[in-house]
Amino acid sequence: MGKKRKQSEVAVLEKKEEEVAPERPKRTLSGWKEKKDDDEVKPSESTAVFRNKEKVLVTCSRRISYRYRHLMLNVVDLMPHCKKDNKVDSKSSNGATLNELVELKNCSSCMFFECRKGKDLYLWMSKCPNGPSVKFLVNAVHTMEELKLTGNHLKGSRPILTFSSDFDKDAHWKLLKEMITQIFGIPKEHRKSKPYHDHVFVFSIVDDHIWFRNYQISVPHNESDKIARGGLDKMTLVEVGPRFCLNPIKIFGGSFGGPTLYENPFYISPNQIRALEKKKKAGTFVKKVKAKTRRKMHELENPLEADEFSEMWKE
Amino acid sequence: MGVSNKESRLFNEDSMEEDDFEEVGSGSESEEDSEEEGDVKLDEPSKKAVYNRDGIMDKLGDISWPENAGWVHKLSVDIDQEQKVDVNDDLTRELAFYTQALEGTRKAFEKLQSMGLPFLRPEDYYAEMVKSDSHMERVKSRLLVEKKKIEEADERRKARESKKLSKEIQAQKLKERAKQKKEDIESVKKWRKQRQQSGFAGGDKGSELDLAFEDGKPFERSNKKRPFVAPGDRSGGKARQGGKPTGKKPKKREIKDSKFGYGGRKGSKKQNMAETTNDLRGFNKDSLTSGNKKRKR
Repeated sequence: MGKKRKQSEVAVLEKKEEEVAPERPKRTLSGWKEKKDDDEVKPSESTAVFRNKEKVLVTCSRRISYRYRHLMLNVVDLMPHCKKDNKVDSKSSNGATLNELVELKNCSSCMFFECRKGKDLYLWMSKCPNGPSVKFLVNAVHTMEELKLTGNHLKGSRPILTFSSDFDKDAHWKLLKEMITQIFGIPKEHRKSKPYHDHVFVFSIVDDHIWFRNYQISVPHNESDKIARGGLDKMTLVEVGPRFCLNPIKIFGGSFGGPTLYENPFYISPNQIRALEKKKKAGTFVKKVKAKTRRKMHELENPLEADEFSEMWKE
Repeated sequence: MGVSNKESRLFNEDSMEEDDFEEVGSGSESEEDSEEEGDVKLDEPSKKAVYNRDGIMDKLGDISWPENAGWVHKLSVDIDQEQKVDVNDDLTRELAFYTQALEGTRKAFEKLQSMGLPFLRPEDYYAEMVKSDSHMERVKSRLLVEKKKIEEADERRKARESKKLSKEIQAQKLKERAKQKKEDIESVKKWRKQRQQSGFAGGDKGSELDLAFEDGKPFERSNKKRPFVAPGDRSGGKARQGGKPTGKKPKKREIKDSKFGYGGRKGSKKQNMAETTNDLRGFNKDSLTSGNKKRKR
């Protein structure tokens, strides 16, 4: 408690200082935790002043299946700047409650894993006070526990984010890229982060989906000292996981709601796909019945003529 | 209730745009086989879809970090994707991701290096990892098991191949031997012919071969002219007589010996044992009973 009070005091102090002398040495600012959001940072301050204070709330809906829960836990493992919260009741979770929750937890963005019918996973990413929010359908999930993914890396080391060039093609991809960098990037000098970089995230757009991969950067041990020259060529990557594929459905103006800014024109919900499949299966029987009735009608319409020889051999 | 309502709505939509969806469904099934869950798409973009570019750009401006925020904060790298990647081809897709990651790390490494920031962790830096040690142990054991499996399969394959090869070699050898034999016989015949043509001349020159085939010797049985020997018989009638005491038994004899026994004392075979004594099958029942009666009286 004492700490918090101190912070608020400091904030007040800082504001006062800024009012009096805006060009004060940056030392005071960079040293303290400030309660302002990142986008409020004034442009007059020099580059060193910018501090990323992103905090991500990670939650899921009730009745999430274990696989998706594990995926969520993997994400929590990868992001030391996140806060995990209890499951939220999916039915009652309209935007307001979630927004409240995020505010309560002092977070600036939120990842919400919503599981429907125990099989479909939707992922909400939102910038919380008033930023946009995105809803994804998550496909092709592989968690970190799988034994095929053999890599390992430091917990809390800052990842290098790589984006394919497709992210600059359209407005909504640009927005998604910005959101992803803010949510997945670990703030510099975060207290739980580690000062080295030994893994890399891949965000790539293939087939209008965002594919996520996480690789460990491994360099042969004896080479790591002279990595500057030869080691760079010998650098290999080992996959750590998790893997998933995000299909953007909608982008909203507010956080968990608000006006729709973008709608994926190609999207079909998994419910529709299943319904179609069912219908198709039902179709075979219907077809058979139809064929039978058609045949009957045909026979009734064109009756056979009585065979003139049918009585011939009876005598 | 909410769910059922929703579904019914879905179905209504379906019936409205039936033809359109039928095609989609047929396309979807083949795709689903290749990729779990399946990435199903509409064939044509729906026209109702909202796309508010200005709104999006506004939002982007709202949330994005100030311009002066250094690259160190983002650590993001953009990589050109050279060509379109087929989604359903898992290998090329993963390769594309891998190359993207590798290029990204190289670029990032150069940038970090120029800034003088640490990149990889030093050897003696130990800290908590994302995956626990026990999990990594499992990963390792699985890798080992797989390696072993591969090795075993390799060995089996090799053994199979070597067996095949040795068989071939054996066959080759047998062939060669047969050929050799034939050649030998051939040469002998040739030699004989030559000798006959030359009228058995040069016999007194004292060469060994000539001596061995000398006709007039009393102790040498003539191989050539034996009575009752068929002209084609190479053994010179010996096979028929069976006079030659070979070390080997004929095959039939061997089989019979193994069946009925051979050698050893006859007595032990003929003696009674407990089993044979108790076995009364061979006796006439009537005679046994009558005998007992007699004894009683």
